[in-house]
Amino acid sequence: MGTKQRKEKEAKKNRRPFFQEMKKNGAYYMMMLPAGIVVFLFAYLPMPGLIIAFQDFNFVDRFRSPFIGLNNFKFFFTSSYALQTTVNTLVINFNYLIWTTFLAVAVAIILNEIKGRVSRKIYQNAIFIPYFISSVVVGRLVRTMLFADSAGGVMNRLLRMFGADPVKWSTVPIAWPFIIVGAHLWQLTGYTSIVYLASIAGFDREMYEAASLDGASRWQKIRYLTVPLLMPSIIVMMLLSIGGMLRGDFANIYAIIEDNGMLFKYTDVIDTYVFRAIKGAAEFGTTTAIGLYQSVVGFILVMGSNWLAKKYDKDSALF
Amino acid sequence: MRTKKQGFIGDLLMHLGMIFLSFICLYPFVLSFMVSISTEESIVKNGFKMLPDGFTLTAYRTVFADGSIYTGYLITILVTLIGTLLSLLLTAMAAYGMANNKVQYRNAFALYLYIPSVFSAGLVPWYLVCTQILHLQNTLWALILPSLVSPFNVFLMRNYFKTIPSSLLEAAEIDGCGVMKTAFVVVLPLSKPIIATISLFVGLGYWNNWANALYFIDERRLYPLQYMLYRIESLMRFIRENGAMANMEVPTQTFQMATLFVTIGPILLLYPFVQKYFVKGIMVGAVKG
Repeated sequence: MGTKQRKEKEAKKNRRPFFQEMKKNGAYYMMMLPAGIVVFLFAYLPMPGLIIAFQDFNFVDRFRSPFIGLNNFKFFFTSSYALQTTVNTLVINFNYLIWTTFLAVAVAIILNEIKGRVSRKIYQNAIFIPYFISSVVVGRLVRTMLFADSAGGVMNRLLRMFGADPVKWSTVPIAWPFIIVGAHLWQLTGYTSIVYLASIAGFDREMYEAASLDGASRWQKIRYLTVPLLMPSIIVMMLLSIGGMLRGDFANIYAIIEDNGMLFKYTDVIDTYVFRAIKGAAEFGTTTAIGLYQSVVGFILVMGSNWLAKKYDKDSALF
Repeated sequence: MRTKKQGFIGDLLMHLGMIFLSFICLYPFVLSFMVSISTEESIVKNGFKMLPDGFTLTAYRTVFADGSIYTGYLITILVTLIGTLLSLLLTAMAAYGMANNKVQYRNAFALYLYIPSVFSAGLVPWYLVCTQILHLQNTLWALILPSLVSPFNVFLMRNYFKTIPSSLLEAAEIDGCGVMKTAFVVVLPLSKPIIATISLFVGLGYWNNWANALYFIDERRLYPLQYMLYRIESLMRFIRENGAMANMEVPTQTFQMATLFVTIGPILLLYPFVQKYFVKGIMVGAVKG
């Protein structure tokens, strides 16, 4: 570490002027250029467009749209949509995070405890499969098969088995946030458990052997060794996903709900609202304003959670 | 004696829990397959059942009788192939430049790649750039370009390149290899594992992407498979109105499930062979996210 730092210091002292550097390492910069161009086109070029948030956007004469100050923000924040979609976004994302983490950690611990190699492989392969299919497929499975309105839908058959009446699911808004979170869990538990399984695999085996010698039961080893050792990874993973809390899970939610207005009350997140506003009414000003609101809050959240992560564990911060 | 018994009960509970979870994860696939080979009448009459009353391939015949499934496949395969190749090329080149300690502005470039993931302009300006400036709507490039470079993958690959001993690169330089030749002759063959992993993740992303089609594609001939599945109601109408099936009742439930299976078929077939690379990839990413 010491030599590395010294080397870096030396490198700083030996910095070449720009043109000399280009002449010497030009080939490397040429290699970075294509990726740089793509990122410029799709990530930096849109940024000046944020000005639309303060304009009454005019599609025909788009460079001379009149400025209207904060009216676009006012329009959104004084409507009932602002609170509703923000709350829905936060509730759904928060539940994604909590339950996926909880279930994935539990699965990782169980998979680690199961001794039979073959059965462990079978379980792991089975719960990993849903990760590989698109959100459209998930949406189809959920809407036309599992929670179909007809009496033949899987859930309605299950209800009938327990003697309950079939439910017309597409008219029951409160059911769908649970379904959305459930579908997310179904798709990502296997994937996330592999992340935690990887950290468990890195734990010091000797600690476990010492605990066994001291007569610790399996449960005690999980409770007092595995879980505390996993805590740093769990906390870091959670902190790092806080930055995306205001970004709705557009593709997955839209694939399940589509344009069924009856279900919006609990499922309409900011991103689905924005998409509909563009598609239906071409509301470019307001939607850009909403995007800016998401980005600014997201930026603050990322910085904050990164600061927390750094405080918690120096190596775990992103930057 | 007691602890042994407890251990057995614990094992049993863990296996039962995992069997239950595995069942939940697999059940929708098996059930939808069973529906896709059932007769439409039996589904209408009995609902979705694990054991179909009658066996038929009518739904699959309907799917393949319509030409759009072939163009869907063609579009998806083209997008996946071109997208993965281009993405890999751009990612590897950028990562290679960034991995070399002698390159002075490598960290500045890393920051440049990273900033958009912390602060983005949002959907609308991005959409306007794609449609008004780059004119991507209703082109194949709309499905490829927007997701071409992922900073995460670039960083992942850079970290891998950094583990290649610099003495190897210096030796190649002394032997008269230029930057490009060193990259392709010395580094590339050593980087097969990371290339395999990243190309599989990128390829899966392209295969499953439908949001870009939702944003940019109106023309049916450019629909990728997933988007066809999304538009299936209108697809069924289309088949009914056009094509050879004009005077034939289109099976609805079984047709949907058959189409679903046709779109995920290649993935399910490849899954046993590729899943271990994905597991490895997640583990590499988990080391430093």
